[in-house]
Amino acid sequence: MKVVNLLAVVDPEQCRGCRTCERICPVLAVRVESKKAVVDPARCRGCNNCEQRCPDHAITMVEREEPLWVGVDWNEGDYAAIAELCLKARLNPEQLVCYCTATRAEEVAAAVLQGARSPEEVSLRTGARTGCKVECIQPVLRLLEAAGVRPQPPKDGWQWYGRTVTAWEIPAAVKAKYESRGFYFDEDIKLLDRVVNASLQGRREG
Amino acid sequence: MMRAPIPPLPPRVSQYGIDPAYVKTRVSELPGMTSVPLTELFPDLPPVIFPGEEGVAAIRKAAREALARVDMAMIKPEHSVNILASHHGFTLLGGEPYAEMLKTLKDVIEERTGCRNVRLRAGVGLRFRETEEYIKRYGLDEYFGGKAAGVAPVDQGIAIETEIGTLYGIRKVYDADWIVHAHNSDVREVHFHRQVDRAVKPFGMSYARIETRSTYHQNLGPRAANFTARAIFDSPFVQGKFAFASFLTVAPHGIIGVDADNDLYALNERVTLTGCRYYGKMMTLFGEIDECIAALDFPCPVVYVFAAGVIYANFAGANTDLYDLDLPLPAYTWYTEAFYGKGGRPLLDEIPPLNPAIRMCVHNYAWVGYPSAFFSEHIPTVVVGREQADLFNRDPQNLTYMKHAVTAESTTAAMDFAYRVTGTRKVLVFDGAMGGINVSEPLAELLLQKAPAVSERVEDRLLPKWLRQRGIRL
Repeated sequence: MKVVNLLAVVDPEQCRGCRTCERICPVLAVRVESKKAVVDPARCRGCNNCEQRCPDHAITMVEREEPLWVGVDWNEGDYAAIAELCLKARLNPEQLVCYCTATRAEEVAAAVLQGARSPEEVSLRTGARTGCKVECIQPVLRLLEAAGVRPQPPKDGWQWYGRTVTAWEIPAAVKAKYESRGFYFDEDIKLLDRVVNASLQGRREG
Repeated sequence: MMRAPIPPLPPRVSQYGIDPAYVKTRVSELPGMTSVPLTELFPDLPPVIFPGEEGVAAIRKAAREALARVDMAMIKPEHSVNILASHHGFTLLGGEPYAEMLKTLKDVIEERTGCRNVRLRAGVGLRFRETEEYIKRYGLDEYFGGKAAGVAPVDQGIAIETEIGTLYGIRKVYDADWIVHAHNSDVREVHFHRQVDRAVKPFGMSYARIETRSTYHQNLGPRAANFTARAIFDSPFVQGKFAFASFLTVAPHGIIGVDADNDLYALNERVTLTGCRYYGKMMTLFGEIDECIAALDFPCPVVYVFAAGVIYANFAGANTDLYDLDLPLPAYTWYTEAFYGKGGRPLLDEIPPLNPAIRMCVHNYAWVGYPSAFFSEHIPTVVVGREQADLFNRDPQNLTYMKHAVTAESTTAAMDFAYRVTGTRKVLVFDGAMGGINVSEPLAELLLQKAPAVSERVEDRLLPKWLRQRGIRL
């Protein structure tokens, strides 16, 4: 659950329609129409990405009159299915996948099971990936993939490019080559496996 | 005889911090505070070239001497060169030494090669305009003839094929014929990199896209994470562009030199040794603190404020040996934070708690732009001033930081509250004081008493083990 207390506002005098905001918005809330950026307030999750990267400083973040709360209720679904999806993605259902919004794997899994078919839809529903915008793309992609979803990056967008390697997929030859240099590949796999299979603390309530 | 506190760096105008006018009192100005020169704690610390009488001229001189040993023959007059910088260098000792090294690099490359298309690309952490601010502050845009740019991990990317599959860099970092890696050896995030390939890390972080950085922090595990950096650096794509590296070499008390090399791994071995030896002693000494109030008072995010080169995030893990790779998870790293369940407890019993010696945190002055709620959730935290609390409530990375913290009207009120509630008089101030640390008198006495035995323990037992774990021979 994330509170959205900010809203991106475009100054049309400053905007030159470069599309940077459109290309980086993690929830596709900005579109360039007639060479000017337009923000959809219902979609904006107040992440600051557009404001931080606009080369013309044409976007400011303003406080919403009424904050939005976004989140997915995992009690609505079959928790066994949620847990199974997390385990398939090699994530403990209770582990955090988004440090900024404190979104746990189970919430992203619930969003996927409730129909989210892309990182953008996951972010829109859960708020994950709308804090720092950096660290949580991989677990989101892993959960989508575990559900059999193979999303395509937004056309011409820079939102994300692809899933990358996990600990379990590092080639044996690479591990052997670098194990004496301080990289503890197999030991970390054992640790991650213990986390994946650790007991849950919170049952199903939020 | 106790010394006067060292005046800390003044607050900075930045979109990530409160207006400096709101920072009315620094913790080091309060009664009972003193300072300890780091050379008094560890007399074997090497001499520094900055701070010093020569000012940044000493940096320019050291950089020129180091670069004289570097081969630049691959750079032709018609080529383009990107000097790659990172935000953290600008937080060291006021930032001028790093800016001066960058300027010297440009001058020497132009002199030696005849190349005139030398650009600056400055990467960031999670504050995407931070290096834009530094570029202006240090006149780098003008110095580089308008060819200085801040780059962020959400900017357009470029796929890089590596030994472990496709990873992603920032396109603008690599849009030149050659790249020069301009960094520093300050250890900073030991909880993340564990002093493994420290010199290589920016290739997996400040020069990298979100996919790569998420790989580091979510996919590989705490002790394999930094391999993302090595994988990218070793890729044919990056090797085809890499010219050389130039580093400010840093110890907890200042800049000790400039090191430059065409072989980044040779440079990495040297900075690993200084990182483990000098910072390792400081962190081990901080691990001896039995109880204290941690006071944050520096213009950077909560986790990065530092004392004697040790950042607050590492002090929060000083109850374990961050350099010992046999210990998988520090008390704080993002993997650790991720592995706290919904009950607010670690999912595994083996995960250590945040340093129990920190009885309270007084957040006098620190920036937003890094998810820090984990700290206020687990360490009692008093934030000074409503303006600072409001700033955190508006930061999408810190929307719950204030949910767990309280506010005080003034620095004095916050410290009085902390003294009264914790019962301790030991205070460690994270204000980046140059050459020493600002502490309360009882803590100064403790540190001076413990330091000799810590130094001996590190030299005799810990350092050989740390280096052995990293495949480095003394």
